[in-house]
Amino acid sequence: MNGFGVEFIILTFIASVKMGTPLLFATMGGVVNERSGVVNLGIDGLMLVGALTAFVVKLNYDSTWLAVLAAALVSAAVALIHALVCISLRANQIASGLALGLFGVGLSGLFGAPYVGKSIVALPDIAVPVLSSIPLLGRVLFQQDGLVYFSFFCVALTWYLLFYTRTGLNLRSTGEAPEVSNSIGLSVTKYRYMAVWVGGLLIGVGGAYFPLVLTSFWVDNLTAGRGWIAVALVIFAFWHPGKALLGAYLFGAALALQLRLQLLGVKMSPYFLEMLPYVLTILVLTLATIRYNIKGVSQMPAALGLTFVKGEKH
Amino acid sequence: MLYVSFEKRLRTSFYTRTGYNLLSILIAVVIGGVFLALVDANPFSAYGSIVSEVLMTSYGWEDLLTKMSPLLLTGVAVALAANMRIWNIGAEGQLYFGAVITTWIALNYGSTTSSAVIIPMMMAAAMVAGALWAMIPAILKAQYNVNEIITTLLMNYIAISLVDYFVFGPWRDPKGLNFPITEEFAASANLPTFGDSPVHIGILFGLALIVIIYFVLKKTNIGVQITITGDNPDAGFYSGINIKRLIIIILMVSGAIAGLAGMTEITGVQHRLRQNISLGYGFTGVIIAWLARNHPLGIVFYTFFMAIVFVGGELLQINYGLPKAMIDLFQGMILFCVLGLEIFGAYKLKFKWV
Repeated sequence: MNGFGVEFIILTFIASVKMGTPLLFATMGGVVNERSGVVNLGIDGLMLVGALTAFVVKLNYDSTWLAVLAAALVSAAVALIHALVCISLRANQIASGLALGLFGVGLSGLFGAPYVGKSIVALPDIAVPVLSSIPLLGRVLFQQDGLVYFSFFCVALTWYLLFYTRTGLNLRSTGEAPEVSNSIGLSVTKYRYMAVWVGGLLIGVGGAYFPLVLTSFWVDNLTAGRGWIAVALVIFAFWHPGKALLGAYLFGAALALQLRLQLLGVKMSPYFLEMLPYVLTILVLTLATIRYNIKGVSQMPAALGLTFVKGEKH
Repeated sequence: MLYVSFEKRLRTSFYTRTGYNLLSILIAVVIGGVFLALVDANPFSAYGSIVSEVLMTSYGWEDLLTKMSPLLLTGVAVALAANMRIWNIGAEGQLYFGAVITTWIALNYGSTTSSAVIIPMMMAAAMVAGALWAMIPAILKAQYNVNEIITTLLMNYIAISLVDYFVFGPWRDPKGLNFPITEEFAASANLPTFGDSPVHIGILFGLALIVIIYFVLKKTNIGVQITITGDNPDAGFYSGINIKRLIIIILMVSGAIAGLAGMTEITGVQHRLRQNISLGYGFTGVIIAWLARNHPLGIVFYTFFMAIVFVGGELLQINYGLPKAMIDLFQGMILFCVLGLEIFGAYKLKFKWV
């Protein structure tokens, strides 16, 4: 390898997309979740549940699509515990999210123990005809694995559903002004449950990406806290799926650079490089918050984190 | 038809809340039994062994008291910040950074300094370290209102990587058979124990801090400011309290207490720095503070209970080969159950036939 050539940069970009894709799914899940007014701090735990499910299904049935589907459904089912506790039972969303995180770590660790040391075949890259021959961009975006293409589709779909359909409008209104939604006859509970469930689906797919593409094996705490980066990315993305894409790839780049600098033999301890994404997350979160403070207008859903009880003021 | 309506209680009594907390723990134990059965461990004999081997033996109690030491400190740390509605999810990282500074002192001055000097020195340094680790989220929160839940949590991962750096790098014991551990501390740097037992005195630090903090909150000016701002941030603001300063102070003191937990853990139990010196004690602190609603006696009580979860979980690892994730699972379930039942403490159920 001859240092920082064009090839190095392209390879880093390709890796950035791969490292960013699980973050993208998880951030999109967080966006849908929070747009309805429900915070989900358990993203990391849900990703782990999705990751283990995908690994086990792929190992036993050798079907990637079945693995992804199972990961999404199982993660969404576990997310419903969070919905039950903080929507129906009116508990604190932050505490419930932390419980969900611990629960997910524990659940995946307990049932994943027998699978440590086994491995699966990683998802192959498929070049998209025509598009993959675009210079630079083609190699970075269109010679990827199927889940990367699926993430493009999901970004477009959530964008459309959230901002261009009646359902999306209703969902967002329960996050902005649940009293108003309620007074025009919408069920706040129904939309919030739906958002947590759909969020769980997307987060589960994000988790599935780890064993199916990035690692090919299962190990305790496979996500290494990436779910928390997604929690911050939701804020960085201003609760928008399109900006989630940019944010996820930016962090994917930080993660990819960390690995590629090590490959290049840059004289820096790998343990300091490991800190990089977390330092960057804090930095970016601070900048995003300062931007709100200056602009004075927050895109944050106005009722985010607040329990809605019919006929009761918070 | 039977109608159920919820009527908000003006306040939830201590007994009501404690009753529901205990019921929640019981439900978590039952569901935990189902999970045990799912991984082919007989729940009755598993729970039975925890009772007979942990609660009925002196070794068990020694383990419990030892485990209570870091949990009490992280519980107090989280509860203190929670008094002002600040979530310190970073006690874990503050603990790790406290341990790093403690190790630096122990390795450099351990062999040449007497216990009477080096122990207070390490305590002070670990507290300063924990406070500094919490200072970054504290300033960001006070100055720019950056979400402290996320920043304190992310700081955990940074601290854990820092420990990895030291134990794999400059501090790795050349005689340690290539394990990522530092050399063992000199005897003077070991925390004293109660008599001949292996129980170190760290638990006293936690108990003392509970008393001190209770006194400060009730009897001092700054304590009243904290309570007012915690109850109603607007009231705090309009009564002229410098909230920014208060946020920074409270998060840094909270960090200092968690940092001390790092010191007691490595000078009292490990006697060297290694990976995984904490099994998520920082998160357990959050659960303890939540269950106790920051009440001083409650913190001691629930710390004892969480110590049983840890010691019991370690027993199940040995006897049944279960992974340590069982402990996380249990903690998650306890918190879920407590939160789920809170509605019955907050509301009175009214039944009516119509």
